[in-house]
Amino acid sequence: MTKKSKGGKEDKTAIETKSKSVSGKSQKQKKPVEKEEELIQESGTDSDYDGDSLSGSLNSDDFDSDIFESEDDVTQGGTEEDGGDGESSQDELLDHEGSIDSEDGDDGSEQIDSDNIEEEDGSDEASDRDEAVEESDSSEDEVAPRNTVGDVPLNWYKDEKHIGYDITGKKITKKERQDKLDSFLASMDDSKNWRKIIDDYNDEEVELTKEESKMVRRLLKGQAPHADFDPYADYVDWFKWTDAIHPLSSAPEPKRRFIPSIWEAKKVVKLVRRIRMGLIKVKKPEEEPEEGPVPYLLWDALTSDQKNKHLTYIPPPKLKLPGHEESYNPSLEYIPTEEEKASYELMFEEDRPKLIPTRFTCLRSIPAYENALKESFERCLDLYLCPRIRKKRINIDPESLKPKLPSRKDLRPYPNSCYLEYKGHTGAVTSISTDSSGQWIASGSTDGSVRIWEVETGRCLKVWQFDEAIKFVAWNPLSSLPVLAIAMGRDLFFLNTELGNDEEQEVIKEMFHSGNIPEPEASVAAIVTWLSDELYGGIKIRHFKNISSIDWHRKGDYLSTVMASGETRGVVLHQLSKKKTQRLPFKIRGLPVCTLFHPSLSYIFVATRKDVRVYNLLKTGLATKKLETGMREISSMAIHPGGDNLIVGSKEGKMCWFDMDLSSKPYKTLKNHPKDITNVAVHRSYPLFASCSEDSTAYVFHGKVYNDLNQNPLIVPLEILRGHSIKGGVLDCKFHPRQPWLFTAGADSIIKLYCH
Amino acid sequence: MDVDGEDVSRRLHVKFVTKLDSPFKVPVNSVAIPSNVTRLGLSSIVNSIIQSDNPEWKTEPFDFLIDGELIRMSLEEFLLAKGISAERTLEIEYIRAVAPRKEEEPSLHDDWVSAVNGSSPRFILTGCYDGLGRVWSSAGSCSHILEGHSGAISSVAVVNSKDAETVTVATASKDRTLRLFKFDADESVDSSTRVTAYKILRGHKASVQSVSAQKSGDMVCSSSWDCTINLWNTNQSTSEGESVPVKKRKGNNQADESQSEGEAVTTLVGHTQCVSSVVWPEHDVIYSASWDHSVRRWDVETGKDSLNLFCGKALNTVDVGGEGSALIAAGGSDPILRVWDPRKPGTSAPVFQFSSHSSWISACKWHRSSWYHLLSASYDGKIMLWDLRTAWPLSIIETHNDKVLSADWWKGENVISGGADSNLRISSGIAIS
Repeated sequence: MTKKSKGGKEDKTAIETKSKSVSGKSQKQKKPVEKEEELIQESGTDSDYDGDSLSGSLNSDDFDSDIFESEDDVTQGGTEEDGGDGESSQDELLDHEGSIDSEDGDDGSEQIDSDNIEEEDGSDEASDRDEAVEESDSSEDEVAPRNTVGDVPLNWYKDEKHIGYDITGKKITKKERQDKLDSFLASMDDSKNWRKIIDDYNDEEVELTKEESKMVRRLLKGQAPHADFDPYADYVDWFKWTDAIHPLSSAPEPKRRFIPSIWEAKKVVKLVRRIRMGLIKVKKPEEEPEEGPVPYLLWDALTSDQKNKHLTYIPPPKLKLPGHEESYNPSLEYIPTEEEKASYELMFEEDRPKLIPTRFTCLRSIPAYENALKESFERCLDLYLCPRIRKKRINIDPESLKPKLPSRKDLRPYPNSCYLEYKGHTGAVTSISTDSSGQWIASGSTDGSVRIWEVETGRCLKVWQFDEAIKFVAWNPLSSLPVLAIAMGRDLFFLNTELGNDEEQEVIKEMFHSGNIPEPEASVAAIVTWLSDELYGGIKIRHFKNISSIDWHRKGDYLSTVMASGETRGVVLHQLSKKKTQRLPFKIRGLPVCTLFHPSLSYIFVATRKDVRVYNLLKTGLATKKLETGMREISSMAIHPGGDNLIVGSKEGKMCWFDMDLSSKPYKTLKNHPKDITNVAVHRSYPLFASCSEDSTAYVFHGKVYNDLNQNPLIVPLEILRGHSIKGGVLDCKFHPRQPWLFTAGADSIIKLYCH
Repeated sequence: MDVDGEDVSRRLHVKFVTKLDSPFKVPVNSVAIPSNVTRLGLSSIVNSIIQSDNPEWKTEPFDFLIDGELIRMSLEEFLLAKGISAERTLEIEYIRAVAPRKEEEPSLHDDWVSAVNGSSPRFILTGCYDGLGRVWSSAGSCSHILEGHSGAISSVAVVNSKDAETVTVATASKDRTLRLFKFDADESVDSSTRVTAYKILRGHKASVQSVSAQKSGDMVCSSSWDCTINLWNTNQSTSEGESVPVKKRKGNNQADESQSEGEAVTTLVGHTQCVSSVVWPEHDVIYSASWDHSVRRWDVETGKDSLNLFCGKALNTVDVGGEGSALIAAGGSDPILRVWDPRKPGTSAPVFQFSSHSSWISACKWHRSSWYHLLSASYDGKIMLWDLRTAWPLSIIETHNDKVLSADWWKGENVISGGADSNLRISSGIAIS
C-alpha cells in the first residue's frame, strides 16, 4: 500500500485528477485490507465458506456486496499467491464463471498492465519504475481522505443517507449501489471489474491498477512493495565522524555529567568494602622490569635512586628575578643620578653595576641590546668551559662567627671621657704611678722632673728636678710608707714624698739617714752601689748599666730593677729596709725587659724579649713556667690581681692575655694598635685592663676573670681613648686604684685622667 | 605700650602679677601682647608699663612664671609645650631675673683658693692652698689671716657668728688637722691681722677634705681621705678631758700656750673611700658624699647611716636645701648636678639632673632662703645658677679663667667663688626674692 501512495505522489504533479483518484484508491485499498481481516474474523464460523466462496458467491444472490468484494479481493490475492496453482484455479474459476476472461494468467495480467499504462500514463513507464525504487516509503504525503468523520465504525452511518462529511463540511451522500445482478453483469462485461473495490469509507469505487495489484501481491508475500527494492543494499554512512567542531546538539550539557554518580559511589564503596574484607583479591599490576639506563633530568631535583647511585647533584643555577630596575620605564628612585653615574666610572670594571637603569617612554623606543651577541657568546663559552665539579662551599653567615659579646653599656663603669688634665711638665711624661689610696699621682718626665699631683684637683704638689730624663717612677705600694722610687739613667732614687703623718715621716727619715748604709756584699758590689742623695735627702743606688724598669714587691720592701743590657746580671732585687741588694737566685736566659712580682705568691715574672718566664723566688733553679708569647719584642707586662692572668704588650702592637691555668700559649692575642704598645695596665678591683701605644691612643678592655675554672676569661674591647697629640704617642697608662679611671701620660707632656 | 601697636598674628591676653614690692608693681588689668614674645619681650613690656607710671625707672630684667614654670622659650611655644589654653587671660607672675648685675673686684690670694664660705653676712671666709685662711670683710679687703696649717686648706666653715664679739671658724687642711680660730669680725684695721688657732683637732689619718659646723656651733664634723667622718667639740674648755693642753710638741717650733688639742668625739665609719664633702644642716643629721659613689645621711646620736643613695660617680660635693631643707644636691666626677628627694619612697633616682657643665663639679650650694635656687661650680671655670623650675641655667658666671674650686652664696644676693686662678670673685646683685 505504500507503493500505492508512492505511485500517487509521483503522479501528483503530472495529472492532478489522476492523482486524486489514485490517492483515493490508496485509501480505499488500505481500508479494505483491514476490513478483510475483520470480516475474515467475523466470518470465522463458516470457514469452509472460504473454500468455496467463489462458488458460494456465485451461487448466492443476496450476498453482501461488501463481502463479496472482499472475498473477491482475497481470492484474488490468494490466487496470486499461489502462483501457478492460483492461476489454474483462477482459470478454473474464470472458466467456471464463464464470463471471466480466458486469457487470464501472466499474459493477461501483462495485458492489463499495459492497458493500465496506456490508460494512465503511457509516456514514461521506465522512469516511473526507477523513481519507485528510489522513493522512500514514507506515508507523509498521503492524500487526506475525502471523508472527514475520522476513524469511526461505518455502521454508525448505516441508516443515514450520507456517509460522512467532506473537507468543506458538506455531507457526502451515499451513492446508489448496484444491485448484485448488475454488478455480476458488470463483472461479466468487464474483465477488469474484479479489480474494482468499493471504498466504503469514502463511498467510492476504486480500481486497482495492475501494478498496484502486483504490489499488493508482494505485500501479501511479506516482501518489499517495490520489486526493485534491494533489502540487502550496502550501508552508506553519510555522517562524517571526524572534524566535527560543533556539537551535534546545541542542548546544554546536563547537570548529571558534572555530579559524581551516587550509584557509582555506592558501587565503589561496596567494592572497596569487599576488597577490604578480602572477598575480592586484587592483583597487583606487574611492574615492567627496567631495561638499560634510565634517562633523568640533569637539573632536576635529586631523587633517592640517583643518590644511591652516587650521582653528583648539581643544583640548577638560579638567576635573580628581574626587578623594577630592569623595567624599561623604572621608577625615578632606581635611576642613578649623574654623580652616581660618575662614581660608576671610577669603579673597577668588575665592581661596576651590570645594568644601569634607564628610562624609555615607551617600549618602541628601546634600542637593540648592544651586548646581546657578546653576552650570548660568553654564555656559550661559559657553558663550554664550565667545570662539572661541585665546589665545596661553607655557607655560614659571617655575623654568626663573631663571638657574642655583651653590650658595652652593660659593662660600665669604664673610663671614657677626659675631664682632668695635669699640666706642668715640659718634656714627655715617661712614667706615672698612683699611690695606694688614689689621692696622689706621681709622674716622671724627660725634662728631668718628678712631680706629685693631687688627683682630685690637678694641682701639682711637689716637684723634684733632676739632671737626667726620668725613666721610671713607682710608688711604694704600702700606704704607710709614702716613698717614691725613681729610675733615671743608671741611678735609682728613693724619695720621701712627705705625705705621711708624723710617725711615718720619722720612719722614713730614719730609713733614709745617710749614716747607716751597710757595706755592700761582694757578690753585688760590681753591680750596684748604695749612696745617699744629698739633694733631696733620699737614697741613691747606682747600677752598672742603665735601668729600664723597676717593680715594687707588694710588701713594699723589695724592689726589682731591670737593666736591659745587663744580660745575666740584668735583674737585681733591692731590699729597702736593710739597704741590701741581691741577685736573682737563678740564671736569666736572654735579655730581660721587665719584671713583675706575683700579686700574692712569691713568684717573679721575668720578661725577656720573646717570652716570659715564671720563677719561684723561694726555690733556686729553673723557671717553673715558660710562657710563649710568639711576639717579636715584649715591651711591658701587667698581672691581673688574681695572679693567674698575665697581659703582655709587645712592640708590634699586639697584646697577649695569658691564662696561666689554661696554657703556656696566649689565651687571646689582641691586635689593635698600629704602633708599639708602650704599656699595659690592669685595674686592681674593676674588671678592666688597658693598653697604651705610640699611636697616641689608649684602649680600654673589659677583662673579667671568673672564679669558675671552667669558664674562660671574658675580654671585650670597650673604648679607644684619644686626646693626646699625635707626636710621640702615649707613654704610660695607669688605673686609679679605686675608681674606674685611667691616667695616661703622653709625650705631649700632659697627663690625662679619663673618668667613667 | 609700643609693642601693642605692632601687627602680629596672634595676641594673648595676659595679666602681670608679682609678689614684689611697690616699685615693681604694675596695674593688674590685662593687656594684649603678641604670642611670639620671649622672656626679653615680656621683660621690656613690664619695664615699659612700670616706666609709664614711674618716669625715673631704670630698666630691670625680669623672669616670668606661668603656673610655677619659668618661661625659657617664646610664649607661644611654652603654651603649646605645656598645653595651656591661649584663650583665657593668662596670669604671668614676674620676678626679678636671677643674674648677677655687678662684678666686684677680685681678691687676689697667694695660691689657689680652695674653699670659700659666705654663711656669715659680715665677712667672707676663704681657704687657700698656701695653708692660710683669710677673712674678707668686703671685696679686696682682707681683715684677718688665719695661720697655722702646714698643708693646703681644703675646707672652711663658720662655726659661730651669732656672737657679736668674736666669731669662731674652722678650717680643714690636707695636713690632716682641723683648726679652730676666734677673731673679732667687726674690728676694722687697715692691715690684716694674723690669727692663730685656739684649738687644733688632730685625729684624721689622711687629708681632711671637708668641714661643717653644727647650727648651734658646739660641734663640727669633718670628713677625710681616711674614709671617716669625725665629730669634734668646739669649746675651749678642757674640763671633759677630751682635749689636752699642749705646752710644747716635739718638733713643733711654734709653741703657743693658748693652743689646745682636741680629739674626735665620735667617728662615723661606713664610707669605703675618701669622704669628700660633709654638711650638717640639722641638729643631729649629717649628710656626706664620698668617692665611693654614695651619699649618706648619718644620725649623729646613733652614729649609723640612715640613708644611702647610690650615684654611680665619685662625688665631690653635697648640699642639702630646697623645699623643706630636704633635697640633696650633689656633684662629682661628671658634669651632671643631681638633686635627690629622699622623701620620695622606693626610688633612688635623682629627681633633677642639670647637665650644662662640661667638667667635674666642684661645688654646689643651695640658696639659703629660696627653695628653688642653687649654684654649681665646675672645673670648666663656670658657675651656674639653677632654678628647679627650669632645666636651663638661669645664668652662667664665667669670671674665673681656671677651675672653680669652691663657691657659695653670700648675703643672699652675692655669689662668691674661689678657683685655681687664685682669686676670690664676688658676683653681686642677684635678686632672689
